[in-house]
Amino acid sequence: MLRLLITAFLLLLPSLPAAAQIEISAPGQQAIPMALTRFLPLQGPQNRELAAEVDEVLQGDLDLSGLFRLLDPEAFLSDAEKIGLTSTSVNFSEWRLLGAEALVKGAYSVKGDTLTLEARLFDPVGRRLVTGRRYVGKVGDVRRMAHAFADEILKSLTGEAGPFNSRIAWISDRTGQKELYLAEVDGHNAIRISDHRSIVLNPDFSPVGKELIFTSYKAGNPDLFRKEIYSGQEARISNQKGLNISGRYRPDGREIALTLSKDGNSELYLMGTDGRLHKRLTDNWGIDVDASWSPREDEIVFVSDRQGNPHLFIVNTLDGAVRRLTNAGKYNATPAWNPKGDRIAFSRLEGNVFDIYSIRPDGTDERRLTFGPGNKEHPRWSPDGRFIVYSSDETGDKAIYIMRADGSGSRRISSPGGNARHPAWSGRW
Amino acid sequence: MNKTSILRLVLLVTLATLLAAGCARKPAAPPMEEEAPPAVTTMPEQEVSGIQEQEMKEADVMERDFQRAEEVSLPELERIFFDFDQYVLTSQAQDILDDNAAYLKANPGVNVRIEGHCDERGSDEYNLALGERRAQAAQKYLISLGIDRGRLDIISYGEEKPLDPGNDEAAWAKNRRAEFVVVR
Repeated sequence: MLRLLITAFLLLLPSLPAAAQIEISAPGQQAIPMALTRFLPLQGPQNRELAAEVDEVLQGDLDLSGLFRLLDPEAFLSDAEKIGLTSTSVNFSEWRLLGAEALVKGAYSVKGDTLTLEARLFDPVGRRLVTGRRYVGKVGDVRRMAHAFADEILKSLTGEAGPFNSRIAWISDRTGQKELYLAEVDGHNAIRISDHRSIVLNPDFSPVGKELIFTSYKAGNPDLFRKEIYSGQEARISNQKGLNISGRYRPDGREIALTLSKDGNSELYLMGTDGRLHKRLTDNWGIDVDASWSPREDEIVFVSDRQGNPHLFIVNTLDGAVRRLTNAGKYNATPAWNPKGDRIAFSRLEGNVFDIYSIRPDGTDERRLTFGPGNKEHPRWSPDGRFIVYSSDETGDKAIYIMRADGSGSRRISSPGGNARHPAWSGRW
Repeated sequence: MNKTSILRLVLLVTLATLLAAGCARKPAAPPMEEEAPPAVTTMPEQEVSGIQEQEMKEADVMERDFQRAEEVSLPELERIFFDFDQYVLTSQAQDILDDNAAYLKANPGVNVRIEGHCDERGSDEYNLALGERRAQAAQKYLISLGIDRGRLDIISYGEEKPLDPGNDEAAWAKNRRAEFVVVR
C-alpha cells in the first residue's frame, strides 16, 4: 500500500509545471508561435527603412534560433498598428486569437544622428511583459541594437543570451590576396581589417579582449601576428623558423596553443600572449596541428597523422598524455571544441568530399551535421555553443555559412565574390 | 519513523504539490499599472579600424611585381610532384632531383628555397605541415647528394598557392609539388 502511494507520488512529479527547459538544439520539437510586429515611430512619421532593418535582423536571428514559428503579419489585427510598450497598452486578446504565445513590439525615435530604440517581448497568454530594453546610439547602430534584443529574447526564454550581437571573422581573397575580414553575425557590415598584401590565414578571437591572432606570410615566413581590433595595432608574436600556425587562445585568454616546426617537425606548443614559449606539448614524429582547447583548459583536441591517416587526438595539457578520439573515416581534421564542453565539431573526408560531424569528447555519439554537395570545413562554435560557423564551396566559390548545432538551419552569410574561408566566431562582444 | 508516519508524509506532500500545481494553472491576475522601466543600453562608440579600400596605383603593382622578380624559377631546376597525402619521393621525383643537384653542383653560386605545396583538399593547417614535409624531403635528398645545407632553404605554402586553380584530380595532381626558387 505504501509502495503504491509512493509510486503514485513519483509518477505525478513530471506533470507538475517545471522551469522552461527550451533546448535550441532540438528545433521543431518546440516551435513557439511568435508575432513579430513592425516597430513604430514614437512620434512623427514612419521611418520605413529603419523599421524594415529591425524587422529583417529580428526575423533572421529568431529564425536561426530554431525556437519560433513566425506568424504571418498579414493576419495581424489592429493592435499591430498601435505602440504598446507596457502590458496595459497591449490588447492581448487579439494576439491570443491568432495563437501567438510570444509577441515582439517596439518603437523608435530619431533625433539628428541619435537613435533610441524601444523593444519589448510580451507573453500574450500570461498577459505580461517578459522583457524590455531601450537602446540608445547612432542611427547606424540599428542592426546591432536589433541583434542585441534578439540575444535578450533568447536569454529570457532559455536562460542563456543569444550570440547574435557578436562578430565573425574570415579570410577572403576579394582584393586578389588573402586578407582578414570582420563582420556581424549575419555577414553584414563586413570590413577588411588587414593589409598584409601577402597571405593571411586562420584567425582566432581572444576570448577576453578585442583582438585576434592569425598567421601571415607578410615577412616572408608563416608567422603568428596579433591585432587589436579597435586601434588596428599589430604585433608579430611568433616568428620561429618554419611554421607558426594554428594559433588558438586558451579560454581565459592568457595563453596560446600553436603549431611550430622549429625543431624539425610540426609539434604543439603553449606560448604566452607575449610570444614567450611555455611548454612543448607533443613529441612525436607525426604532424601535429589544428589545436582546439577544451573549455576546462585541461585538454586540447588536435589533428595528427601519427597513426597513419589524419585523425583527431586529445592531449592532456598538464601531463602530456595523448588519447585517440576518432576511429572512423580516413581523414578527420579542423576540430573545434564546443564552449559548453560536451561536443567537438570537425570535418571528415567521406568519398571525395568533406562534411562536418560532431562527437562527444569521450568518442561516443558521432553525428553527421552536413550533407549534399560541396566541401564543408573549419567549423567554429558561437560563444553560447548553440550555433556553428563554417566554410562551404557548395556554390562553386568558397563561402561562409552558419547553422544550428544539430546541422539544421544553415544559411550563407558572406556575400558572393571573393572566396571566404577560415571563419572564427568571437566571444560575447 | 514507522510505516504509518511515512505514509502520512507522502500523502501530505502529494496533496500539497497537487494543490500548488492547481494554483499555478489559474490565469494570472491582470498585471499592475507600474512596470519596471526598461533597462537602458547605450551602444558603444568605438569604431573598428578598417582598411580604406584604395585603388591600386600602377606604381604599387609594379613594385610588387619587382619584388617577386627577385626570386626566379629556372627551367634547369624542375619541380617535383607527390601523391595525395604523401611526402615520399617517387622515383620520377628522385630523377628530377638528381638533375637539379647536378645543376647546383655546376653552379656553386646559386642558392635555392624549396617551396612545399599541397592540393586544396583537407585542412589548410595540416597542408601547411605536409607542404613543409615535402620541402624537407627534397632538401634531405639533395643534401644526401652532396649539396651544402646552407644553400637550401625551405618554406611551406600548404594549399595557399596552387599552380592550377581547378577542382579536379588533374589540377590537384599539378598542385602537389615542390618548387625550386633561386634566391639572390
